[in-house]
Amino acid sequence: MCTLDNIIQIIGKEVARLILGLIGVLVVVVVNALVLTWVERKVSGHMQRRIGPKEVGPYGLIQPFADGLKLLAKELLTPANVDKPLYYLAPVIVFIPVLVSFIVIPFDGFLQVKDINVGILVILAFSSLSVLSILIAGWGSNNKYSLIGATRSVAQNIAYEIPLLLTLLPVVFMANSLSLRDIVEAQREGWFVWRWQFFAFLIYFIAATAETNRTPFDLPEAESELVAGFHTEFSGMRFALFFLAEYTNIFIASAIATTFFLGGYLGPVLPGVVWFFIKTYFLVFVIMWFRWTFPRVRFDQLLNFSWKILIPVAFANLIVTGGILKL
Amino acid sequence: MEISTKIKESFPSLEPKECPYEQNGYHLSIEATKSNIVDIARFFIKEDFYLADLCCVDYIDYLELVYFFSKHDKLLRIKVTLKIDPEKPSAPTISHIYNIAHWFEREIHEFFGVLFDGHPFMVYLFLHDQIDFYPLRKKQVPVPDEDKRLLNSFKPEEQEDGFFLNLGPQHPSTHGVLRVVVKMNGEYILEAIPVLGYLHRMHEKMAENRTYQQFYPNAARMDYLGALNFNLGYVTTVEKLCGIEVPERAQYIRTITCELNRISSHLLWLGAFLADLGGLTPFLYTFDDREQILDILEAVTGSRLTYSYFRFGGLFNDVDDNFVDGVKKFINRLRSRFSMYDRLVTGNVIFINRVKDIGVMDRSYPIRYGCSGPVIRSIGIPFDMRKHEPYAAYDRIDFKIATGTNADNMDRYLVRIQEMENSLDIIEKALKELPTGPIKADKIPKKLKPPKGDIYHTIESPRGELGIYIVSDESDVPYRMRWRVPSYSNLMTFPELAKGTLIADAIATLGSYDLVIPEIDR
Repeated sequence: MCTLDNIIQIIGKEVARLILGLIGVLVVVVVNALVLTWVERKVSGHMQRRIGPKEVGPYGLIQPFADGLKLLAKELLTPANVDKPLYYLAPVIVFIPVLVSFIVIPFDGFLQVKDINVGILVILAFSSLSVLSILIAGWGSNNKYSLIGATRSVAQNIAYEIPLLLTLLPVVFMANSLSLRDIVEAQREGWFVWRWQFFAFLIYFIAATAETNRTPFDLPEAESELVAGFHTEFSGMRFALFFLAEYTNIFIASAIATTFFLGGYLGPVLPGVVWFFIKTYFLVFVIMWFRWTFPRVRFDQLLNFSWKILIPVAFANLIVTGGILKL
Repeated sequence: MEISTKIKESFPSLEPKECPYEQNGYHLSIEATKSNIVDIARFFIKEDFYLADLCCVDYIDYLELVYFFSKHDKLLRIKVTLKIDPEKPSAPTISHIYNIAHWFEREIHEFFGVLFDGHPFMVYLFLHDQIDFYPLRKKQVPVPDEDKRLLNSFKPEEQEDGFFLNLGPQHPSTHGVLRVVVKMNGEYILEAIPVLGYLHRMHEKMAENRTYQQFYPNAARMDYLGALNFNLGYVTTVEKLCGIEVPERAQYIRTITCELNRISSHLLWLGAFLADLGGLTPFLYTFDDREQILDILEAVTGSRLTYSYFRFGGLFNDVDDNFVDGVKKFINRLRSRFSMYDRLVTGNVIFINRVKDIGVMDRSYPIRYGCSGPVIRSIGIPFDMRKHEPYAAYDRIDFKIATGTNADNMDRYLVRIQEMENSLDIIEKALKELPTGPIKADKIPKKLKPPKGDIYHTIESPRGELGIYIVSDESDVPYRMRWRVPSYSNLMTFPELAKGTLIADAIATLGSYDLVIPEIDR
């Protein structure tokens, strides 16, 4: 009896932690998306000689809530000839990998839902799933623009996942661990970006921009060619979920860059969680900066860039790092 | 004339008639027959003439097809007419010789019912299939049953070896209501077919139902971006037809305002072109600049977009010192902005990779399609109506013509940028020389009744050669008014240029033409 109680107690604690963590993650995801939509509007506004939203609340801060409410209140329109199960499923599937990735990200020394010893593998595995949801959305919409967007997305994600992995591996070598917290702790003597991994950081950041389908690599939703790409037929809350996932993906990509190259939550004076968010949001800002200044690359250029430049350089970097560490 | 003897040598049966250019706008007129029109077209393409226009006039007793052949390197325009029987109208096609005739003939077929023998694709271009009469015939003629079969609007069929994708009429890249049906294989375009008529308002028919004065505002509605240029084109044509002399000051102000209009059109194109390539920010910068021009022009003309500022014999009202100061200020402002655009856009690696060596035309395009404006100048042919056939005050102002060499999208971009700078020079010079005096000719009758005859007159709109053909029967209403619009010929090069390219490149090419769809659809 006693052992049973203990087991329940132990499981209960773990479950309670997970449940609390998941709620926390959900809150972070939603708040992050709200903040990022506001930031994107302000950033784009100021880059385009406008001021962006300013009417709803001070500095337009309530604007994302107004947008969110509008999207919630909208009718969920289902076009006539869609493949219904796939069409309904796609916005849900796009959201799951995003949530899982959050579990292993260390926001601070203690602020982490669960430190898994293969943390980065979990993130990479689940972020690969997002391409599946895009493909489902594109196919299920029964729309040629959507389908072209989806096929582009698959080719693009395959091409850019390889350099992504290849640039994270040298850091794993140096930290000797796949756990994200260990990787951050290994940077106490200095950030990896300054310790021989500058090129890895650069390549990672480019590949991450492509992974998150942002300009100049936003081919799956290229507006001037494919109207809105894979989410052309989605409206209301279904569209909002894609939107939410996109912003969360940007955040995760930046958070991984922060964790792997910029010392994660490490920093003087301020608490770790503040440092983490400062670094992450700075990278998010840079990604937005790209979007509002660069034109879009062409599809073949995009693939050539990955296969002919990024992957060889990343490989060379991996081999050199491995060689030096072995010596 | 040299060409006249050449024609007589090749076609002993023809009698080329010399015409007063000042009065008619063409040098020679030839009456062809159905049996030799194809050979005549072959002769002209060998002599490097391009088909400027092909239209039809209904004289009730007979229909007359009017072909205008012009040259790029010197001012020489030849009118070839072909009389056809109105009962069973038909004529041989020349679409296999001049590609642009393909579309001109389709247009004539739906408006007049003329069947072109041997035309490969005789279906409606503008009208929908419910229209059961020929709109431009003077007497109402019902569409015969065997014709109706041909008149169905274009409907693509799914095929095994590719799929069809609709670019437009509601699509972010088509700037309005152009529809291009592209047959694709993956990302590659196998075939592109422009489908027109979503903004067709039949301005040519409207012209036959209102007096010359009443037609003023229609011109601006065709090309809403180059409205002043279209306004000027219409006004100068009628002035030439009636022999009205325009005061010097008015000519200079016309030049200045038209160049401002050209810059505002090019600025909008610049933003839209970069938006096509995925860069959204420049759009707002160029709109900011364009706004200054609109403010200046609004103070003078009273409107911001669809100007109707010019009148027969002069202007609607005079400009003041505020205008001159405003323009001078704007010139300085835009000059400083060009260096910024150059820094931010022209040198961008992604931009260069997207436009360099994409959409390359060869030198046969302007002959076969009659394309004009920045599109032809990017090939390296300095063909500009402002120099070629000067109007307003352009012959008194010294200016450069921007030309390219590669005829790719990059060159079309550079030519337009250069052209904006040249326009600034023109404005500056014209402002310096701006004479004083009246702005309107005296004794312009309230009811304008031009003498009997016809005239073909061209001006350089921001998009290229705008040709207006007016037939007058001495009444106060035009007997026939035909608009040869530049975007039309430019767009028709697209199917050939897009074949085999990636869809992203095709959209960049489409953007580089600077199309205005209401102008094409008329």
